[in-house]
Amino acid sequence: MITLDSADESSMPRRARHASIRGRLASTIVGFGALAVVTCVLAPLVGTTSISLTRAFDPSIPFDQNVDAQIFFVARLPRVLAGALVGSALASAGVVFQAMLRNPLATPFTLGVSAGASLGAMLVIIFGGAFALGPLSAVPAASLVGAAAATAVVYWLASRRGHAISTSVLLLAGVTLNSFLSALIMFVQYLADFAQVYRAARWIMGDLDIGGYDTLIASLPLVIVAFGLFALLPSSLNLLSVGKDAAAARGVDVPRAQRLAFFSASLATAAAVSLAGPIGFVGIVVPHLVRLLVGVDHRIVLPASALFGAAFLVACDLVARTILSPVEIPVGIVTAMIGGPFFLWLLVRKS
Amino acid sequence: MFLVADRVSYTYNRRTSGEPVPAVRDISVRIARASLTGLIGPNGCGKTTLLKLLAGVLAPNSGTVSLDGRALTTMSRRHIARRIAVVPQETHPAFEYTVLEMALMGRHPHLGTLQLEGPADLAIAFESLEATGTSHLAERSYMALSGGEKQRVIIASALAQTPEVLLLDEPTASLDLGYQLEIGLLMQRLNRERSATMVIATHDLNLAASVCDTLVLMRNGRVLASGNTSEVLTSAMVRQLYDVEADVRLHELSGHLTVVPLGRLS
Amino acid sequence: MAARAQKLIALVALAFIVFALAARAQDKVPVSVPRRIVSLVPAITEMLFAVGAGSQVVAVSSHDEFPPEVKTLPKVGALIDPDTERILALRPDLVVVYGSQSDLEKQLGRAGHRTFSYRHGGIATTLNTIRDLGVATGHRPEAGKLVSSIQARLDVVRDRVKGRPQPRTMLIFERQPGTLREVYASGGVGFLNEMLTIAGGRNVFAEVSRESVQPSTETMLARAPEVILELRVAGVVEKTPSREPDAWSALSSVPAVRSHRVHLLTGDYLVVPGPRLAAATEAFARALHPDAFK
Repeated sequence: MITLDSADESSMPRRARHASIRGRLASTIVGFGALAVVTCVLAPLVGTTSISLTRAFDPSIPFDQNVDAQIFFVARLPRVLAGALVGSALASAGVVFQAMLRNPLATPFTLGVSAGASLGAMLVIIFGGAFALGPLSAVPAASLVGAAAATAVVYWLASRRGHAISTSVLLLAGVTLNSFLSALIMFVQYLADFAQVYRAARWIMGDLDIGGYDTLIASLPLVIVAFGLFALLPSSLNLLSVGKDAAAARGVDVPRAQRLAFFSASLATAAAVSLAGPIGFVGIVVPHLVRLLVGVDHRIVLPASALFGAAFLVACDLVARTILSPVEIPVGIVTAMIGGPFFLWLLVRKS
Repeated sequence: MFLVADRVSYTYNRRTSGEPVPAVRDISVRIARASLTGLIGPNGCGKTTLLKLLAGVLAPNSGTVSLDGRALTTMSRRHIARRIAVVPQETHPAFEYTVLEMALMGRHPHLGTLQLEGPADLAIAFESLEATGTSHLAERSYMALSGGEKQRVIIASALAQTPEVLLLDEPTASLDLGYQLEIGLLMQRLNRERSATMVIATHDLNLAASVCDTLVLMRNGRVLASGNTSEVLTSAMVRQLYDVEADVRLHELSGHLTVVPLGRLS
Repeated sequence: MAARAQKLIALVALAFIVFALAARAQDKVPVSVPRRIVSLVPAITEMLFAVGAGSQVVAVSSHDEFPPEVKTLPKVGALIDPDTERILALRPDLVVVYGSQSDLEKQLGRAGHRTFSYRHGGIATTLNTIRDLGVATGHRPEAGKLVSSIQARLDVVRDRVKGRPQPRTMLIFERQPGTLREVYASGGVGFLNEMLTIAGGRNVFAEVSRESVQPSTETMLARAPEVILELRVAGVVEKTPSREPDAWSALSSVPAVRSHRVHLLTGDYLVVPGPRLAAATEAFARALHPDAFK
């Protein structure tokens, strides 16, 4: 056992200056958690229509005569919850993919999961189909299937049994599948008539107005599983992002960790995209912002991103539905308008 | 014998065209406990591959590597990492970890999946940084350091694993003379005071000569010779390894062998 | 000399007069009636057949479904993908294009083909288009008769619903099947809105100066329409039986939902601004004021 000279008291003060990770993790979770909770509590109170909260929460008025209550509980609350779920899922998936692919510019959509989901949704929108998968109606169900198929194809292309996945091969497989699926999507749109093309284009801009709790409840188990798996990842992510060999040398079961990361992040992305369409920039802006605030240790970045992602998307949706009141703009446009300048600023800052 | 590679072979699986060439063929190496062994050989001789095999990072296509009689393949990655640490040639993290965070990563094999490092781990990490003279850089970004500083931080990270065996791949490659000397002395000190078993893959014959008590000479994936440094490091061996005519003699002041290249053999 | 000068002047004057007469005579000769019409616009195709020019049509757009005769005609693409080669190969003497297809128009113009440019608009525009088509295809009297009959039918509807209270109505022409997501409703402008008004309904989005609105759940709840008219175009969506649960029941505070005044109307005639718009208006009126049509 190589042990070194035992600690001498003179270097203690320097060590104490380094805040312990437990402390930092706790304060991060409390801080970002509070932000997420406050955002989610305040958001349903705001909207294009002014409602009376006392009326909305008045139990004596029957629900189907209480417009204020319906606006709060049927229109706004599910929307805010969906925003929190989707924002959280996409931000966390972004963190995991970035660590796994060792690339801070990776997004949850880099490996083609979102393109698969889009193709599934598009096929149903354009060729019709009124089936249902449990509480999921046709479009979300089809996009889930599409996402699963895309994930399976990328995995099959990039992995060899028992071996570590080469990140460059994975990236290549994902980007290739993305291009191929995008071409397919364009082709399908070409075959469609004008109204369907517009509907398809609208779906791609993302939409959190789910108008009820059914789809939310259907997506919940997927997201819970994904988050459960995420909880096992952070220290492995630190090591994986340094390098496969470095990680293996420090005791990480690299093939297992990679597959865990890949599947959990793909699951979270698939659930998010099937619920609300592919909302861009959340999966890359939030991790970067969080890293600017709390450093790069994934054990802190991952939970912080999950919480901040929820607050971020709920806030963006709030802006989307009120800024041009009474017209509502798609939330994907707001995230893009924030994402673009943000990266410009990052670029300017670095140079 | 402590760390033993028994007739191991390894071929990198190249997806590109052509016959894959075995990096290491049918090699047997026996590292004694508390020895300081040098792996010497020209570029592409398989030093790095052998090092990775000894660390258990790569699993051999045939043959076994065992630590203290137990095959590495029967041990979990985590268990191996608690006992064997590797210092690779280059490390390029994708994110801007601080020096302390890099050192703390060495504690990973000693922590449970959801366990966070405690004060003891922090202390070990700091000691490792102090041992390589980098503790004053603790809060600096790793990426912003010079090549030599980076190398010393990575060594510290390996030390933080508190391993029994330390494997180093070209540890002095990007260090200046002063730091080369310092790392050389550090390795000797660790070996002497803590009975650390160390294996160093290196180009630097003089480093190997000054620091290592045992040498393994490799060429084209095979072992040419192995044994005590004084016996094995001869100009004949150098000629066979590198096709270079060299003068190998004992340097009186330093007390160890020196190798001075004289000319290339055509 | 004077005599020769006089003769010259007379000759020039005569030539001048002859030319002038000839020029005016040119105007009087009618442009030839097109015999090979290609139509890229389904609404126009309907109009062509309705004014009696059906036999002059040689090809239609890929989205044309009505009247049944068009099923056997060759298809040459539509708004996004007009098949220029095929169109030219058919040697048309009149091509009906969308107003936005300016490149195609130029191309056809250069190849020497006449084009008729379609402008989308309200009822008045639609009727004018019918008249213009009548002139262009040599069926002016039939076109006139068609326009009169449409106007007469609209007047009948107006009469029947006159004086009755106009329910606040949301007119929906598109939504994601099985859910209330991606709802598209008629705004306060356009032929759908005009038909609704004639049929005795008041558009909940009357103040929106756009043809279509995409209301969120909150907006639909807030506007609280008394009647909801859903237009479904017969086609792919109806291939699978509509066993979908009543998506509107989630918005139970909406008066239309509570009083079961959510009406589903099917048929592509409902959304095409063409000869059948009177029938569409009648369908709206029947749904809005059933007692006026007993």
